[in-house]
Amino acid sequence: MVGNGMAATRLVEELVARVSAGSTTQEWAITVLGDERRPPYNRILLSAVLEGTHRPESLTLRDEQWYADHGIDLRLGARVLEIEPRLRDVMLVDGTTVEYDALVLATGSIPTLPPIRGLVRMDGTLHEAVHAFRSLSDCQGLLAAIGGLDTASPRGSAYSTTEGRRAVVVGGGLLGLQVARALGVRGIATEVVEGADHLLHRQLGSAAGRVLARDLERLGVAVYTGARAVRLTDNALRLDTGVTLETDLVVLTAGGRPSTALARRAGLEVRRGIVVDDRLTSVSDPAVHAIGDCAEHDGRVTGFVPPAWEQASVLAGVLTDEPVKYDGSRVVARLRATDLDVAVLGDPEAEVRDGGEVVEMSNPVRGSHRRLVVRDGRIVAGALVGDLNRIGLITQHYDRQTLLGPTEPGELLMTERARETVRLPDEAEICNCAGVTAGAVRACASFADAREKTRATTGCGGCASTVRQLVAEQSRLTPEGVK
Amino acid sequence: MTRTHCPYCSLQCGMTLVSTSSTTGAGSTTGAGSTTGVGSTTGAGSTTTRRAAGLEVQPWAEFPVNEGGLCRKGWTATELRGHRERLTTPMVRDRATGEIRAAGWDEALDLVAGRIKELRTASGPDSIAVFGGGGLTNEKAYQLGKLARVALGTSQIDYNGRWCMASAASAGNQAFGIDRGLPFPLADVEQADVVVLVGSNLAETMPPAARHFDRLRGRGGKLVVIDPRLTTTAQRADLFLQPVPGTDLALALGALHLVDAAGAVDEEYVATRTHGWDDVRRSVASWWPERVERVTGVATSELRALVDLLTSSRKVVILTARGAEQHSQGTATVLGWINVALALGLPGTPYAGYGCLTGQGNGQGGREHGQKADQLPGYRMIDDPAAREHVARVWGVAPETLPGRGRSAYELLESLGDGGGPRALLVFGSNIVVSAPNAHRITRRLESLDLLVVCDLVMSETAALADVVLPVTQWAEETGTLTNLEGRVVLRQKAAEPPKGVRSDLEVIAGLAERLVSTPSTGSGTDGPTFSTDPEEVFAELGRASAGGKADYSAISYDRIREEQGVFWGSPRMFTESFATPDGRARFVVAEHTGPAESTDEAFPVHLTTGRVLAQYQSGAQTRRIRSLPDDGPFVELHPMLADRIGVRDGEPVVVRTRRGELTAPAKVVTTIRPDTVFVPFHWVGANRLTNDALDPSSRMPEFKVCAASLGLATSSPSGSDYSTTDRAAGLTA
Repeated sequence: MVGNGMAATRLVEELVARVSAGSTTQEWAITVLGDERRPPYNRILLSAVLEGTHRPESLTLRDEQWYADHGIDLRLGARVLEIEPRLRDVMLVDGTTVEYDALVLATGSIPTLPPIRGLVRMDGTLHEAVHAFRSLSDCQGLLAAIGGLDTASPRGSAYSTTEGRRAVVVGGGLLGLQVARALGVRGIATEVVEGADHLLHRQLGSAAGRVLARDLERLGVAVYTGARAVRLTDNALRLDTGVTLETDLVVLTAGGRPSTALARRAGLEVRRGIVVDDRLTSVSDPAVHAIGDCAEHDGRVTGFVPPAWEQASVLAGVLTDEPVKYDGSRVVARLRATDLDVAVLGDPEAEVRDGGEVVEMSNPVRGSHRRLVVRDGRIVAGALVGDLNRIGLITQHYDRQTLLGPTEPGELLMTERARETVRLPDEAEICNCAGVTAGAVRACASFADAREKTRATTGCGGCASTVRQLVAEQSRLTPEGVK
Repeated sequence: MTRTHCPYCSLQCGMTLVSTSSTTGAGSTTGAGSTTGVGSTTGAGSTTTRRAAGLEVQPWAEFPVNEGGLCRKGWTATELRGHRERLTTPMVRDRATGEIRAAGWDEALDLVAGRIKELRTASGPDSIAVFGGGGLTNEKAYQLGKLARVALGTSQIDYNGRWCMASAASAGNQAFGIDRGLPFPLADVEQADVVVLVGSNLAETMPPAARHFDRLRGRGGKLVVIDPRLTTTAQRADLFLQPVPGTDLALALGALHLVDAAGAVDEEYVATRTHGWDDVRRSVASWWPERVERVTGVATSELRALVDLLTSSRKVVILTARGAEQHSQGTATVLGWINVALALGLPGTPYAGYGCLTGQGNGQGGREHGQKADQLPGYRMIDDPAAREHVARVWGVAPETLPGRGRSAYELLESLGDGGGPRALLVFGSNIVVSAPNAHRITRRLESLDLLVVCDLVMSETAALADVVLPVTQWAEETGTLTNLEGRVVLRQKAAEPPKGVRSDLEVIAGLAERLVSTPSTGSGTDGPTFSTDPEEVFAELGRASAGGKADYSAISYDRIREEQGVFWGSPRMFTESFATPDGRARFVVAEHTGPAESTDEAFPVHLTTGRVLAQYQSGAQTRRIRSLPDDGPFVELHPMLADRIGVRDGEPVVVRTRRGELTAPAKVVTTIRPDTVFVPFHWVGANRLTNDALDPSSRMPEFKVCAASLGLATSSPSGSDYSTTDRAAGLTA
């Protein structure tokens, strides 16, 4: 296995589970080659570590002992130099080779560097103010730079060292917004620069994107859309709109691309990603498989964990001769940032282009924009900004492709209303325990009287407040009072 | 005046029974059909007491669990006495004609014993099976296990407690080395700061318990309720989480993830009092809130609110009930919540910890004294040689004569008759036809038996299938102990004479044993096993048999129970120093969420969950026959969005279908249920024709709480449905 990220870890876990459940009789000698020098961790929570809601230690998925316990050869800091498909081995940069019967490429993606002058120094290293945000090391480097290394501090505590510091996040996608919000929570004056005309342009329409930008600005993060960073000087970032943003830090989150260099050099078919079939097997070599961000299935590459895990699960089945196939994944993208509510189901823009019906509720006054794309009574995509009411139901209907009634999509977008209190009719049972009606309580003179005569409130006691209210209501009714 | 306890749930509320007859002398109590106490009460308080057949229920204010409070089931409990459907003579069915006729006790018992002997000779002792209940007294449960192992020689005994809290029992044993519902008195919850109820609707299922939770809130404590329905319990919660049925485990994993992320793990407690944290910590690293939200349907903000409460105090109590436990991953779900409790350092610390709210009247004691397929009295395991040795000595038999482990409840029933297993079944204290999952299939199995013997008070749905029905005494007519949800052993005392012609379960067991045991059963004990019919004697023997076991009753006596308002087995507050594991440390056990056994799909797109209503208890064999308890039959609770989707209005009949059966009942349209879920109460025939018989791998608990269903408009009225008019007539009041 080349790669030790979330897809690879899930695959190892799935294989181990099959071996211990006895559902495969094959003998496995698994080698995992990871180029980072630490055991696998939950990469998608890096922005939570930056924000301070997660301790870095809680991200570890499996420790080295676990691999040893299961007889897996885990090699950390192991960079692969070359794959040799004809010899069925891979060579590492230290010159060692590892043979394989099956090779799994789970190399993930690599961040793209935007074309900003001054970003890279003459010697090829990044400018000291510039940070990528891909690995836990990147995250820790950034934390050190903002003086927030004391990551054990609970969220909300003051970070005095960050006072007066400024940051610019390049990229207005999911990761960029999470990082921007995290820096904002850390007390850093943060600005976001996005080249497209609105935020999350791959997921959201422009109206939703604008609402989101306003929500973000309300949280103190300035947003520059339709603007490209073109030049970095010692303490400022110049945009192509002519604006210059003074800053101490620049964080690059402007997307990534599948890491395919090894596969390409090995002669495997690569388009945007390593091309695999429904068995997640390279179309060029039956001994090679690819999962996660580096793989391209049915013309699509994903950038999310749930599809990578589904692929890992299917590939574990493929490797143990189960008759399984991968037929794509449903993606729900959730922005992980305090007080910034965004959920994107599937690909709403594409589904709208393909003729999906749009049910939409926009409330810029409140800062919310909610859209569902429906086809044949089913939610095929959606984008919810600023209001995640009923999110847990909407995603269930989307994931399960529930056939909805004609009024349901609209109702799902309405905010739930608290139940109104109405005057209880006399026949309404107010005490389930003793079977007492409102009328019976109204006939009583006092709380104690009701308790004595009807036994209401003597069981679970849940009706006590209702009984008090009914008795009080009654005693207020003077003869000349309203009926 | 008799101090006793309610006949129903595991709270075992204390109550006082007062005879309303003016002639209360011994032996003068009237039997079946006696008049109600006309003119026998005083003026002012007359509306506050309920009476029937000469007994009325009055509060017992000093009993600490309920402090005089009762729910309407308790207040009306005496009304079953003198019911016109009460069985007072054994009944025997003629297989040729199907006719059922009255028979004498000797004739009936001879017939049963004779058929058992034939079967045993032809097919071996395991061709006879016994099915018990979690409502039976400790004495009966104990004696039933002894009947099976000693008189019948069969390994095939289990009971309906498998369908109650077995998942919590299994999880408790794994994590703490012992299984006791609550390791602290219930009233302790009042002193906690946060109580989390996972899948409990106690305000309806055990209403008098709610007072303790109200006092908690009165003190400023917070109550969290986790349930797919906004129940009457949830309505009084400070925080309510409404997960998709079958996802409570994912919620627990998500909660633990955030606890760890926030650095709120009690590292010192974990290091000194537990094992296994590292593996559990790694396993929850991949349950971040947004993933949990997608699986459970609980918004991340709500999960965070839960964790904020969990980490706000050291006095946190987490309680599970059937909602969390009755799943094919029920044990793992409970373990998931126990892991949260252990990580926070709760178990064994004051006003904190994990507990299970047991359901049936003797849910706790019923599982401790040997009516479980794998256990001997005192919570001893039947395959432990030392346990066999000890119990065999008490029983006066050779250890090697004791059979081994038998089938668990559902597997036992599934194997009956045509299923290739036992050919005869003796049923005590259970109404299988209503309470078993996938009830169609189980009913067919019962019908394929060579011999079905049912002991009951009334012609229950299961008794109606029997070859021999034996009428037994009821609650106030007999004495015995029960162990409530706290592990407190309480004494139910006889307050009235049974109708002529009925016998106690202990007498039935002794009657069968004397016909089946080859050595004389009347001897001094050295001659072989004896089967006493005196509850106090049986309790003393139970004490000896349980001595040295995990649930050791040897120090408890009827006198002590009377004097001390119940006696806890073990310490009232457990785990303060150590756990019941060999090294005294609790175990973290990795629990992986795999989801329900049956997922929704195109054909069955909604989740079905089942549960209880306040006015009924279990299969309703008792409560449906009490006039003062409303019996409106089953209903299908659904959300207006779902009702609109299928075009049904409140009160109109709706059909619920699953892969196993269908049910037609009126729609009850409420906004308090998840819109992707329907709820059907299980007290009536029908709900369990729908439920899934997938079993938990360790507790063997069926998945009562979630399966995939479809909904449709009923073409005919509900009276033409599964829920037949005859089922219903019995309970109708007006």
